Amino acid sequence: MSGLKLRGVRKSFGAIEVIKGVDLDIESKEFVVFVGPSGCGKSTLLRMIAGLEPITAGDLEIGGARMNDVDPSKRGIAMVFQTYALYPHMTVRENMGFALRFAGVAKPEIARQVDEAARILELGPLMNRRPKELSGGQRQRVAIGRAIVRHPQVFLFDEPLSNLDAELRVHMRIELARLHKELATTIIYVTHDQVEAMTLADKIVVLRDGSVAQVGTPLQLYDDPDNLFVAGFIGSPKMNFLSGVVAAGGSTVRLPDYGDQSIPVAALRSRPADGTPVTVGLRPDHFKRGGAAHLDLNVELIEHLGSETYAYARFGKGEVLTIATQNDRDLKAGARLAAHFDPASALLFDAAGQRIR
Amino acid sequence: MAQANLSRNERISGWVFIAPALVLLGVFMIYPIIWSLWMSFQVGKGMNFSFGGFTNIIRMTKDPVFIRALTNTLIFLVVQVPIMIFLALVFANALNDPSLRFRALFRTAIFLPCVTSLIAYSTLFKSMFAGDGVINKALLAVHIIAEPIAWFADPFWAKVVIILAITWRWTGYNMVFYLAAMQNIDRSIYEAARIDGVPAWARFRYLTIPMLKPVILFTTVISTIGTLQLFDEVYNFTAGTGGPSDSTLTLSLYIYNLTFKFMPSFGYAATVSWVIVVIVGILSFLQFLVARDRRPAA
Ligand SMILES: Nc1ncnc2c1ncn2[C@@H]1O[C@H](COP(=O)(O)OP(=O)(O)OP(=O)(O)O)[C@@H](O)[C@H]1O
Ligand SMILES: [Mg+2]
Repeated sequence: MSGLKLRGVRKSFGAIEVIKGVDLDIESKEFVVFVGPSGCGKSTLLRMIAGLEPITAGDLEIGGARMNDVDPSKRGIAMVFQTYALYPHMTVRENMGFALRFAGVAKPEIARQVDEAARILELGPLMNRRPKELSGGQRQRVAIGRAIVRHPQVFLFDEPLSNLDAELRVHMRIELARLHKELATTIIYVTHDQVEAMTLADKIVVLRDGSVAQVGTPLQLYDDPDNLFVAGFIGSPKMNFLSGVVAAGGSTVRLPDYGDQSIPVAALRSRPADGTPVTVGLRPDHFKRGGAAHLDLNVELIEHLGSETYAYARFGKGEVLTIATQNDRDLKAGARLAAHFDPASALLFDAAGQRIR
Repeated sequence: MAQANLSRNERISGWVFIAPALVLLGVFMIYPIIWSLWMSFQVGKGMNFSFGGFTNIIRMTKDPVFIRALTNTLIFLVVQVPIMIFLALVFANALNDPSLRFRALFRTAIFLPCVTSLIAYSTLFKSMFAGDGVINKALLAVHIIAEPIAWFADPFWAKVVIILAITWRWTGYNMVFYLAAMQNIDRSIYEAARIDGVPAWARFRYLTIPMLKPVILFTTVISTIGTLQLFDEVYNFTAGTGGPSDSTLTLSLYIYNLTFKFMPSFGYAATVSWVIVVIVGILSFLQFLVARDRRPAA
């Protein structure tokens, strides 16, 4: 029983409201990722759950009990910080066992717990080193080990990988996924890297400006975003956005910036009226040969990544669109391109950025 | 590397630029130090002295006033420095808490004594600890004492006042070093400890103090040196006598008296000065030894 429930949670620093009413349910043993641009309040929300920042308004429940005014150490949580926050004067072993001394755990038991964590994290040969004698990835593992020995119900991670290089980041990501399986606890993980979010999460919470933009599984957010913000934030390379106007009784969208080309769109339940301004969202990988719709574009630039090829194309002097293709290695800059796609994959958003379904 | 590339000319200009400072240092520091060492082996009164070998050192071991001054100085050192270092750490820790209001005000208030005028503060202390001063009145009013304490007439209380005064004056100075060092400690270290249930006293004892160890060592050494040279307070509070009956006489005051008050005995005064130097050297060495990292890999 280690689910979390947030109801109308708010946070103000002085007169500035940073978290503007968050409602969220997190199931027991779920891997939840908070993602969003810098300054959107991810860390603040996490620190409120940890008890490091007081909650201005609203309710926080962990494992069914209200935790707003409970001391951080009594919330059944452990936190891993971006800066690792290791005790610099202690060895790895002392770092991991330190807090247990104050929890009334007997010495042999502390040693057993620490050894167990060291085994899980493969820290064995490093136990007598100091933090400054470790690499970034090793420090990170020690920080995680320090959290593990407390057997928390909920792990909180604040951008734990952002100080590591790209290769190590991929490695640690896999480690974390394995760890989540092995420990079977709830994990709340903050990152601004949407790839980390997509690969690790059972559930992603996209935050924007202190509010929840959308909650869902990685693929729900990718395939079925609720708004322009989520559509643009999730997915790499970014989704292409084309502004247009609804026409022909809602069956097509006319694109004034693309020489008035019209593209068919799948029938929508809400039946927007002709003339409604909309934004069409098309993911780079939605362009496929044999799609029923197409856009006529000029190729500006080609990037060959080996397995994939990205074509950057535009109409006249308009916005550059990104098109991912698997096997068009013979595409050349300057060529004309009829970019085909399935009309059903085009997403429509209204002027306020909300999805039209 | 860079040095090797300097031309002869540049090297000469370099020396020319630092020459004035070197000359001043030599004339006003190095020469007097060497001269005082030489002086410490001279005997005689006034300007009329001759080489006496170890006579001064032998005289010292038989001089009850010197023994008195040495004992007093060591008492001041052993009592005052630990109290002050501990207080400074506690204040720094309290004032480093971001949730405390009026932090800047408190910091300034605690730091201010060490930059106030010596005479002003001595006068104030003297009046506060006078027979009918505020301290006695306050203690009488709350019935801690039945009759006023004669602070400056009692050998024990006179030492207490001196210790109070120098502690009051220098605690803030040490605190500033700790505050500066504390600002460099990653705040999430404390947050991690809080989440992990480490109580506040243990965060102070097992995290703050070890992380401040180099600064604590530094302040201990300079405080030790300062206390061994204690002069100002004693001179001002006791009108230069170190009274009552030499109970607050310090080595520095004794040196001063030997040189300028009694029939001048420059040689003997120099010998006593070198005693301070030797004690400072030994104590600093011991402090570094104690604070040294015991593990080979630092
Ligand atoms: N102690 C504080 N006092 C005042 N404002 C704060 C404080 N902490 C954070 N903020 C503000 O709250 C907002 C959210 O900050 P937060 O650190 O939660 O962002 P974040 O989403 O974690 O960003 P990043 O990805 O850069 O870490 C920011 O605008 C920040 O300036
Ligand atoms: Mg953050």
